Amino acid sequence: MNLAGLTSVCALTLLVMCPELVSAQEQPVNRDGKILGTGGVSSISGAGGGGLIPWATLSSYADEGQRGGSVFRTRVDVDAYQLDIDGGALAFGNRIEFSFARQNLLVKPANLHVRQNKTGIKVRVLGDIIFDKAPQITLGAERGSLRDKGLARAVGAQHTSGTDYTVSFAKAWLNGIGHRTTLVNVNVRYGNANQFGLLGYGGDDQDAKWTAEFAAAVFLTRQLVLGAEYRQKPDNLGALREENAHDLFLAYFPNKRVSLTAAWVDLGEIAGARNQQGVYLSAQLTF
Amino acid sequence: MKQSFGHLMLFIKNTFLSIGLVTFLSSCASNSQQSLYDEIGGQAVLETLVDNFIMEIASDNRVLPRFLDSNVNRFREKMIEHMCLLADGPCIYTGDDMVQVHAGMNINSAEFNAIVEDLMSAMDKTGIALSSQNQILERMAPLRPQVIGI
Ligand code: HEM
Repeated sequence: MNLAGLTSVCALTLLVMCPELVSAQEQPVNRDGKILGTGGVSSISGAGGGGLIPWATLSSYADEGQRGGSVFRTRVDVDAYQLDIDGGALAFGNRIEFSFARQNLLVKPANLHVRQNKTGIKVRVLGDIIFDKAPQITLGAERGSLRDKGLARAVGAQHTSGTDYTVSFAKAWLNGIGHRTTLVNVNVRYGNANQFGLLGYGGDDQDAKWTAEFAAAVFLTRQLVLGAEYRQKPDNLGALREENAHDLFLAYFPNKRVSLTAAWVDLGEIAGARNQQGVYLSAQLTF
Repeated sequence: MKQSFGHLMLFIKNTFLSIGLVTFLSSCASNSQQSLYDEIGGQAVLETLVDNFIMEIASDNRVLPRFLDSNVNRFREKMIEHMCLLADGPCIYTGDDMVQVHAGMNINSAEFNAIVEDLMSAMDKTGIALSSQNQILERMAPLRPQVIGI
């Protein structure tokens, strides 16, 4: 972590510990209304998730009538690539979430950096993930914009920015598998991002496509969650193969301020480098 | 040396057999229609649970103001009966129905979750297994529409 990152995390910790510094709320207890773990973690696009995919959950513990937010830092380290991400999200009333992330991809063999900014919006349109029979449903948009455009152009991407649209469904059962709280999430995505947008948007094959994403998770304890995700990727570039991604994760929620996630990821083939597997580590602060 | 190794193996084998047998028997026991009430330990545990629950509420500023005018003894008694009933225990609930009790309070989702978290902590402190906790919560969840926003 560089100095700037460290300072911002420190500043944040201060804000977390002295929330009255942030805003002089009339009711100091009017926060943290959601149950531990139900704010999820931060996905690679900054949107509340999930790791490789967003979920139909909203970041932070802000319930109706409350505000909340999160900041995170993530590293994905696979054979030929390293992806560093930092970002955050603000949530209002468990209804709407705005997210932001800066991604920095290192192509190890070429010692080349590709940076991308992501902004997102997600709206809960229906349902409560725990207490309704029907799933909680969100609509989302994730816009990506490459700051380093060379690689995307070289591999034949049509655009260096683009927007994905998602519909997400999530349902948790308090008394699920093995009497443990169990969550299932399904996303339908429409977009043209090549390798999460890091290789640009669109290609010669086809432009925007519908893809599907899945996640399942089990609360082993109230604080420890084991789960897996699967993300279909579009494969738009004629010259390069793009494969689906999946992960197996363990997320730890010691309290409502911090979450830590460790995962094993398999991103498939990326720009000619086959079988990209490795680790995913993420730390999140919530306020 | 060889003989004692044989003894050790026999010991390990017997231990595994008896562990297996105990697990088998206890899994039979829990299959034989044991109620959730019995599973958590019956009346005594339920009473400890509600006492702990009241302690949790008393130290939770998110919801405590709601209870300032309440009669704790009545709440304790009715809550024990109500939870006993939820857990299929041998009780009769003599309190008011959920809508009547909570009507006019306009309880919101965050307050409901706070109560759920207080109950979770109380169950932890009472030593109730997570699997039983989740069954209790699963049975309380459908009551939410009778409690919030009314
Ligand atoms: C599923 C969730 C809940 C259940 C099963 C439940 C159950 C009960 C029961 C059995 C009583 C006693 C009734 C009686 O005296 O006849 C009671 C009273 C009460 N409940 Fe709830 N409750 C729930 C949620 C909540 C929530 C979320 C709040 C507010 C934060 C709340 C606030 C109260 C208050 C203030 C009383 C006392 C009323 C009085 O003194 O007259 N309850 N509840």
